[in-house]
Amino acid sequence: MNKLKLNYTSLSFLPILVCIPLGYQLINNIHLGGFKLFQEFLISAFNPKIDNEIIITVINRLNETILIGFFSWLVSISFGAIFGIISSNIFCKIFNIPNFFSRVIRFFLTIIRSIHEVVWGILLMQIYGINFSIGIIAICIPYIAVNSKVFAEQLETIDYKSFESINQINAPKFSSLLTLIWNPIINTFKNFGIYRLECSIRSTVILGLFGIGGIGTSIFLSFQALNFRELWTYLWSLAILIILSGIIFKKIKFNTTNKILSIFFIAVFFITILFSFSYFLYFIFNNNFENFNSVSSLLKSSSDLGLFDFLKLILETIILSLLSTGIAISLPPLVIGIFNNNSSKIFIKIFAFLLRLIPTPLILLTLLTFNNPSLSLAALTLGLHNAGITSKLLFTNLDNQDKRNYIAMKSLGISKKTSWLLGLFSQQAKSYLAYCTYRSDIIIRETAIVGVIGSVGLGWQLQESLSSFAWQEVTIVLIAYSSIAIVGELINGKIKNSLT
Amino acid sequence: MNNALLELKNISYKYKNNLILNKVNLKINSGEKIALLGKSGSGKTTLISVLNGTIKPTEGEVKLFNKSYEELDRKQKRKITTIWQDLRLIEDLSAEQNVNCGLLAENNFYFAFKNLLNISSFKKAHEYMQLCRLHNSIYDKKIRKLSGGQKQRVAIARSLIQGSNILLADEPFNNLDPKLITTIKNLLLDNVDKNNSKKSPKTALVALHRLDLLNNFDKVIGIREGKIFFNIKRNNLKKFHLDKIY
Ligand SMILES: Nc1ncnc2c1ncn2[C@@H]1O[C@H](COP(=O)(O)OP(=O)(O)O)[C@@H](O)[C@H]1O
Ligand SMILES: [Mg+2]
Repeated sequence: MNKLKLNYTSLSFLPILVCIPLGYQLINNIHLGGFKLFQEFLISAFNPKIDNEIIITVINRLNETILIGFFSWLVSISFGAIFGIISSNIFCKIFNIPNFFSRVIRFFLTIIRSIHEVVWGILLMQIYGINFSIGIIAICIPYIAVNSKVFAEQLETIDYKSFESINQINAPKFSSLLTLIWNPIINTFKNFGIYRLECSIRSTVILGLFGIGGIGTSIFLSFQALNFRELWTYLWSLAILIILSGIIFKKIKFNTTNKILSIFFIAVFFITILFSFSYFLYFIFNNNFENFNSVSSLLKSSSDLGLFDFLKLILETIILSLLSTGIAISLPPLVIGIFNNNSSKIFIKIFAFLLRLIPTPLILLTLLTFNNPSLSLAALTLGLHNAGITSKLLFTNLDNQDKRNYIAMKSLGISKKTSWLLGLFSQQAKSYLAYCTYRSDIIIRETAIVGVIGSVGLGWQLQESLSSFAWQEVTIVLIAYSSIAIVGELINGKIKNSLT
Repeated sequence: MNNALLELKNISYKYKNNLILNKVNLKINSGEKIALLGKSGSGKTTLISVLNGTIKPTEGEVKLFNKSYEELDRKQKRKITTIWQDLRLIEDLSAEQNVNCGLLAENNFYFAFKNLLNISSFKKAHEYMQLCRLHNSIYDKKIRKLSGGQKQRVAIARSLIQGSNILLADEPFNNLDPKLITTIKNLLLDNVDKNNSKKSPKTALVALHRLDLLNNFDKVIGIREGKIFFNIKRNNLKKFHLDKIY
């Protein structure tokens, strides 16, 4: 008898089994009431509204989005670098600080990172009301923590021996520190920093859906008014923005030997730090926390949230993450493998691009036109969006791969699909799975976004508790949410280690 | 009075149950030029690391100017400079930037900053690189692009520019061709600070494994399996000494 062998290739396809329970629930929830709407939504993609008025609106909204995105990027990358340095081992070694210190900072950053920017945004909007700086702050909080982790990781690559040799010179400690971290920091800026700008623009769009302003808000409002042609104008203009910025950033080559440019960047860095710090102080002292005070009496109010309900929400969130991760892992190789020809490839690429482009809440709202809200629907949404992202990576890696095996197998008369699987994908499977574990960390955090709209899990409860100012509940939900994310990250870390 | 600059008292160093240094006693007096002989794996590098304070011995005392390392301030520690066997340059910086790192100690933070931005003065660095026979075409090349011999000389220039009194050099002639070895050896064992007219003798301990390079040294120390077998004037070195350690 043939035993089922579990290798990386089969492990990449196995998670598609989540589709069985998922599909079952989805089929049971189909309603045809909104089918016409869905049709209209799709058709409008090819017929976006274009006139002078809307073009001006698009430009204005895009400007807002770019501004929020740009400033949150600038602030989060600058402070990310600083926190990354402070939480690195090299910093502790040079200043003789016990390792305990860096562990405390890292732990603190892990907690902050575990909560999605949309959750921060909703939270801050509830306390301070809606304004631009709330958007920037909401993005910056988790982004600083994420960036600092990346910077700290890069700083760990500094050779201990070069540290010893610089230490031996017994220079002022800041001089030694700067000399050692200079190149890793610059390289992280170059390789990772620019990519983060795109991320923060996407986050701005999502926060916009929740009312913070910019193109996201327009997208949401036009969807609400079922104004699909206008909606697609916004979506396509966002697509153009993202594609254009991708092209521009690929062209830019930062030359660190260019003195004037280097000095300019460093000046921007320090101005950003100074400015945002003083703004932070201004923000603290100029907000009289009116909303907050008026609700603080409610802090003592007992929570309606029973233990059983609470556990159910946690379970829902975990299941949601698992189902979505399953789709994000298995769907791309499955689809790419089955439709393995050039014309399908283009079609898949476009579809994946759309899945990445359209913010998850909007995907969910669209799906809601013909399916009742359910956990499966939320999972499908999150899974599809992330499959768009994992498939981009898979395509890039497959395109760059040596195709000799594949060609050899095909010429032996082995079928195209089998050759693709054994000759191409099997060599990618391991690194693909490793990337998916990282993606899964993000999926856990994003459960909050679809939760708010799809009325599942802790995300939904958070919205409920916030709108009734039940701060105690909010706190409990946040703790639960961040615990799930942290535990998930630990598990994923273990899996990733075994994969690399 | 004890006037040893550096003193090791009964030093032992254990690494994973291996005794790498075994009850080493050693005094280095001001002005002495000492050659440290021993096969590869005999403990030369470990001994040098103990002397410059990067390795804490498992047992015994290290004294620098009659003080333990913990009692020294940074200024006093700067009196020692090390040329590492594995060089330990910063690969992503240029040769001249690496040499300038030797000047970090006597300058402030702003200098370090300017050095990284390539806007500091490289005048002194270039002088020392010239002394090490480094051609000016490699001044602004990244370390990772240099040959072994060029890297070796950048490391030497970085060490010499520090202007320390005590030099610890771990096989500094590796990768150098014969003609350069003579030049570099004279450079290491004579005073090189051109701005300093009074040619105060520099104290040096140089780990070697080539016997033909001994002529400029006052003393020779032989080490084998972490134990010092002899510590004598060079003139007294006989064949049977070498037989003990090789
Ligand atoms: N970091 C280390 N890891 C493992 N073994 C080491 C380490 N450092 C030193 N040793 C061992 O210590 C002994 C002495 O090494 P070393 O001081 O480098 O000798 P030398 O410089 O004379 O070649 C060797 O046997 C070496 O294997
Ligand atoms: Mg050695």
